[in-house]
Amino acid sequence: MNNYSWLVRREFWENRAIWIVPIVIGAALVLASLFGHVDLGALAPEQSRVIGGTVLFVFGVTFFVVMGIYSSWYLLDCLHSDRKDRSVLFWKSLPISDTATVLAKLFTGLIAIPLVYFAAADITTVLIAFVISIRAHAAFANSLWQPSVWLQLQVLWLYLIVTTAIWYLPFAGWFLVVSAWAKRAVMLWSILPPLAFYLLERWFLGTHVFGSALSERALGYGQYAFRDMANQSGWVTTIINDDSIRTPQSVFRLIDPVGFLSSPATWLGILVGVAFVAAAIQLRLRRTEM
Amino acid sequence: MPPLIEAHALTKKYGKHTALDHVNFTVEAGRIVGLIGPNGAGKTTAMRAILGLTSYEGELRVLDREPFGERTALMREASFIADVAVLPGWLRVDQAIDFVAGIHPRFRRDRALELLAKTQITGRRRMRELSKGMKTQVHLALTMAIDARLLVLDEPTLGLDILARRAFYDALVNDYMDESRTIVITTHQVEEVENLLTDVIFIDKGRVVLALGCEDIARDYAALAVPDDKVGAARAEKPFFERRTLGKTVLYFEHPDLGRLAALGELSTPSVSDLFVARLSGGVT
Repeated sequence: MNNYSWLVRREFWENRAIWIVPIVIGAALVLASLFGHVDLGALAPEQSRVIGGTVLFVFGVTFFVVMGIYSSWYLLDCLHSDRKDRSVLFWKSLPISDTATVLAKLFTGLIAIPLVYFAAADITTVLIAFVISIRAHAAFANSLWQPSVWLQLQVLWLYLIVTTAIWYLPFAGWFLVVSAWAKRAVMLWSILPPLAFYLLERWFLGTHVFGSALSERALGYGQYAFRDMANQSGWVTTIINDDSIRTPQSVFRLIDPVGFLSSPATWLGILVGVAFVAAAIQLRLRRTEM
Repeated sequence: MPPLIEAHALTKKYGKHTALDHVNFTVEAGRIVGLIGPNGAGKTTAMRAILGLTSYEGELRVLDREPFGERTALMREASFIADVAVLPGWLRVDQAIDFVAGIHPRFRRDRALELLAKTQITGRRRMRELSKGMKTQVHLALTMAIDARLLVLDEPTLGLDILARRAFYDALVNDYMDESRTIVITTHQVEEVENLLTDVIFIDKGRVVLALGCEDIARDYAALAVPDDKVGAARAEKPFFERRTLGKTVLYFEHPDLGRLAALGELSTPSVSDLFVARLSGGVT
């Protein structure tokens, strides 16, 4: 366990973007709240609850999207960069197994980096609430700042981190395989083989099994991790000026951990992901040169 | 006590190319062994096999372990510097020390700091800011602070200037080597290490050409410098190599009859580098 903590720390030393990027985003959002235009008339309590929640949610989504892109890049790069600069020969001169190395990088990409973004998003929202409470009158800020909404978003964040880590494990594992294997152009190599596979299946078999499995994995996350979006009962519609915003009554009614964990698609993904990670470990064991 | 390293029919193929072809050698504890050969001879492959960095065929035991399957355990007792330039540019000196201290059970932080205190290098510097010579000092300080039984160096001074090379080997011999340790060095620059080696293994085209202790060179080999009129008589004694130098011909003999040779000219013990050239040039030229 001690080794793993050093290995993860090492990743933070090497990839300073892990915390610099979220700090920059947070700073930009705080600046926007400092100088941006805030003009809302009198709001009903329900309206301000929705606006406050939506603002927090939009911030969260901003962080989460950037985090997803960065994490993917990190996983693609992590086993490649130390072969490129040959520092792999230094890391391998230490008593750390290749399994530990690869798992530490997987953990960094899927859990540690998202947690950093989560913390950054939280700090940002607190700062912004503070800024707004000073710029506007406190009553207004208080009405935007809803502890219950904030608490629900914490749960949503943690739920997203855990479930996306599980759901996207096949992608993460594949990125690690490419990173441990490719001589160069990891980005290209991450896309080309699946694309070739898809095209070959289409031309020679005329089927789309691989393609639809892939798009199901890429886009289908929401329908497994959350309750049926078409089910209206858990949703409320709020009218603000001319817009109507549909929001879930409660995050707790939206998330569906039992459904997610009992779905075969989840477990199939775990299986494929574990196979890829195992392959990445084997490649790491054998490939020290480019 | 069994040998520290024991290779039997060690073979490594890359596709059709055979980098190591049924190689046998042993390394005993407490020795400084030079694994010497021209570029592409298979030295680095042998080194990689010893360190568990590559799979192989045949038998190989290092510190009584199977290196490829047991690299992690092996690296607790063995350390290596594979070319000094491999410390990553983003790494800070203090981070390197913290990391190795955190990971390696036999690393002594105070020893590393003591070694670094002798240099101009401060803890906050990143590797990319250091010269190659300074990076060498850092890597050497990290490695020498590990209480390892076996130290493997693969072309350790490649790309260093003469001062840094000398400093590197001086530190190794004076501050590190003792009877409890064993060092294996690969190099194609024989002159640089010949004075510190106790054993040499010559390797060429994937095969071991010669393996012996340096103290045995005087017993098994002789160089004979003869004037031109004695060359014919000297050749009759079956040298395995000869070369012209400064108006004389130097002939090299294996298992020489020193009494008979002494009558023909000036006898000497060939240096490791002479022997290397003689052995690898192959045959009489």
